[in-house]
Amino acid sequence: MLARLRDLLRRSGAPSDEEIARELRDHIEFEAQARAGEPDPYGAAHRAFGNVSRTAEAVHTLWHPAWIEQSVQDLRLAWRSLRRTPTYALAVCITLALGIGAATAVYSMVEGVFTSPYPLLPQDQLLWIAERTPRCSDCYEGSPAALVALRQHVPALSSVAAASPWSGAFRTTGGSEMTSGFRVTANLFAIIDAPFALGHGFPEGADAPGAPGAAVLSYDFWRSRLAASSGALDSTITLGGRPVTVVGVLARDVAFPEAADVYLPYPVSAQAANDFESRSLVLVGRLAPGATMQAVAAQAKGVARQLARQSPRTNATWTLVPRPMREYHTDDVKGLRTIAVASAILVLLAACMSAANLLVARLSTRRPELALRAALGVRRWRLARHLLAESLVLALVAGAVGVMLAHWGVSALHDMVPVTLARFIPGWAHLRVDGRVLLFTLAVSIASMAGFALVPVVGATRVDVQSVLGDASRSSTAGVHGVRLRSVLVVLEVTVALVLITASTLLTRSIHNIVAADPGVRRDHVLTMNLMLRGGLTDSAMRDVYRRVDAALGAQPDVLSAGFISTLPLSNSSWGTSFEIPGRPPAPDGRPLTALDQRVSPGYADAAGIRIVSGRWITAADTADGERVAVVSTLLADRMWPGAPVIGRVLVVDGVPWHIVGVVANVYYGGLDEPLRPTIYRPVLQAPSGESAIAVWTRGDPDAARDVVRRVVAGVDPDAAIGEVMSMRALESRHISGYRVMAALVTVLAFVTLLIAIVGLSGLVAYGVSQRTREFGVRLALGARASDILAHVAGGALRLAALGIAAGAVGALAFARLLTALLYGVGPGDPITLAAASAALFVVALAAALVPAFRAAGVDPASTLRE
Amino acid sequence: MARAPDAKLELVQGTLDMLILKTLAFGPAHGHGIATQIRQSSRDVLTVEHGSLYPALHRLVRQKLIAARWERAPGAAREYKYYRLTVAGRRALARQESRWNALVLAIANVMQPAPEA
Repeated sequence: MLARLRDLLRRSGAPSDEEIARELRDHIEFEAQARAGEPDPYGAAHRAFGNVSRTAEAVHTLWHPAWIEQSVQDLRLAWRSLRRTPTYALAVCITLALGIGAATAVYSMVEGVFTSPYPLLPQDQLLWIAERTPRCSDCYEGSPAALVALRQHVPALSSVAAASPWSGAFRTTGGSEMTSGFRVTANLFAIIDAPFALGHGFPEGADAPGAPGAAVLSYDFWRSRLAASSGALDSTITLGGRPVTVVGVLARDVAFPEAADVYLPYPVSAQAANDFESRSLVLVGRLAPGATMQAVAAQAKGVARQLARQSPRTNATWTLVPRPMREYHTDDVKGLRTIAVASAILVLLAACMSAANLLVARLSTRRPELALRAALGVRRWRLARHLLAESLVLALVAGAVGVMLAHWGVSALHDMVPVTLARFIPGWAHLRVDGRVLLFTLAVSIASMAGFALVPVVGATRVDVQSVLGDASRSSTAGVHGVRLRSVLVVLEVTVALVLITASTLLTRSIHNIVAADPGVRRDHVLTMNLMLRGGLTDSAMRDVYRRVDAALGAQPDVLSAGFISTLPLSNSSWGTSFEIPGRPPAPDGRPLTALDQRVSPGYADAAGIRIVSGRWITAADTADGERVAVVSTLLADRMWPGAPVIGRVLVVDGVPWHIVGVVANVYYGGLDEPLRPTIYRPVLQAPSGESAIAVWTRGDPDAARDVVRRVVAGVDPDAAIGEVMSMRALESRHISGYRVMAALVTVLAFVTLLIAIVGLSGLVAYGVSQRTREFGVRLALGARASDILAHVAGGALRLAALGIAAGAVGALAFARLLTALLYGVGPGDPITLAAASAALFVVALAAALVPAFRAAGVDPASTLRE
Repeated sequence: MARAPDAKLELVQGTLDMLILKTLAFGPAHGHGIATQIRQSSRDVLTVEHGSLYPALHRLVRQKLIAARWERAPGAAREYKYYRLTVAGRRALARQESRWNALVLAIANVMQPAPEA
């Protein structure tokens, strides 16, 4: 390997030493011929030439400067000396490589998601503008009036576009599928410089009211629904019940502002400037050339003031807040970035400390050798170079392995998130090892290796040769050099390990709590999907569809029960309504009572396994013509009528009274980690709605029923669209997959640091034992019991572990505060978790210390004393 | 090591490169040939120290002003290392020559001032 390195370093065209020698020999030959007449022409020629070998060397150094030669020599020496101690070299390499790999992978992922969510777009120039008010400080949308005003009065933005979430049916030959996407102003694709696989963005005027229907498709939609046919361009498809012409297909992995199937034009009408209240637009701007974020912020503030003057009722307290587009997805999850980056840096630190620990140990065993070489006149600088070279070789090899580990780690992380979820994480498709991050981790590990290599060098070369040499030859108890430094490093390693182990335990317990939590519905054997009826249906037409789908599903042999509900459990999509209770004044702050609004069918309670607490569920008798009835959740009942009977009471929703006929157990419709919300269930036949969801309780595997349900719905109404077909289990795991990724990440990092800490601790103890073998022999010979020695050695190690654990507990409490948002059913300062993690670490430390401690206790006094 | 110090002159510093380039301007030559030619052209006044000739040659090769190749001259029994001028070397020679001439003239003017008009 070093020979090849040397070839690389050798300058092109450099003559070999033999070549130089031959050239000089030739010269003397010629000279001798010229002096043929003289006596001893060869001798004369040699004398005339002078010192041949010095000339040869001068020519040689011309081609190979001394520093390169010496570096090559240093590296070769380092390589040779490392090969004599393979265990040490391997331990350092593995430790550093793990640290570099893990830290780089995690840090790269975070950087990818947080700083480069739109790698294919000019993300530095894009920003998004949110309308905010103190009561809605994390709102992210804006009104049409704001769009119009921003376009006119913010010169720091070259243009402003808007996107509004849309979902609708895509008509196929075999029925309809629910698709989702955005309605966008015609200029959006131009603003974001979107790359297209086919065609182009919307032409100017496509968003004028009354313009012919047009659509831009996402790459995935084009591939999965239109078979990636190039004939799709300019063809007409039916979206949301309207024929639209496909004008373009976006390039692969382009999703803006987030994952979408299709894009339709957003009609900007003449009245838009007066629409202050429909705050449902994502406002996207592009910086004008040379303009800054600050300029936009100042001008947007002016626009907000102007809007407030125009319409004080709706806009008095609202401001316009521009944010970089790259923060669009991560505005509310900045904490995750801190956690991941902090964990990555902790692991890197632990790895560097552990490698340094091993390095210090090795250097201290070499003190006699170094002292001898210093005594023999090797200059200190040369000695330092040699040791530096050794640690650099290790750091570089570890770096190379670390790069591979990082690549592997990033792709493992990438695959850990299911595709269905990953498409909602912008930038995930482009996840890769970040070069700057890699450079950072490499630099940190190389610098730490170099730094720690030099500390003992200074000591070693200054040392009094006689004492060290005498010391070593006697092999007594004097080997304490570097032990204090190593002890500090081990304590720090234990500290870091406890911090990450506690974090990983907290996250893992949260996941267990979530999985164990009762969402209030049956999770097995239930297939769920969203259902969207064709727009413009009358109430009676909708009732007709619901009745017929219900009947047809119930008739399927594999279906035990099926029913409708507005939004599915754990789906994170909430649909609220305000209500009143007759005779009861509104809340003191004047805000109306609100509840989740669920429109259900008789079969739903069975299908989803909802528990009826009292009264009854909706029945087939609750038809459109019957008395309006409602069922409420226990939470609503307890809040409104604590301790009093609820059946027979009346709620006013949509201005009409509903008689409560039953109370059911609570169900989590948002996340399990979010607070429960009071819920009102009303018969879908009495309050029909175009959007709904279906739950089907199947006899066997719920996924096997997918096609049956699809066929049934298409058979009743081919325009009724189905989407997000998945089992209740899949719904649940989608809900917690974010937690799982985070927990898996921290757990892996925690194990890496634990491993590193164990290696460090047992290495330190083993070294101490090997240095004191003779002392133990003497003690045993003088009558000490083996158990004394055992306790002495293990006790020393455990003192270090205890110190580390004490420091780690403080760190763990601080670190866990970062995790608060991710914890479920367990607090950040949970004493049981901390105690369990500390105890586990202590036991592991004990085990790590016992192996060398037993060896110390088993020393044979006779043989050590004879040595 | 010149044999008769008073008959010979030490080379002015930095002129060896120019002399080598000038010698090679007449055609390729090996190291010994170059040394011989410089001595003969200077009528035995200038002697190139061999200890400095070869480092100078290799330095010029690295600067790409001359090129080296092992070649067999017609009638020779084996290959010798021959040096030749490169295009860059020819240009460098022209530059150094004119600078040298200007220097010689200037020094001559100082040593023997022209009579004032």
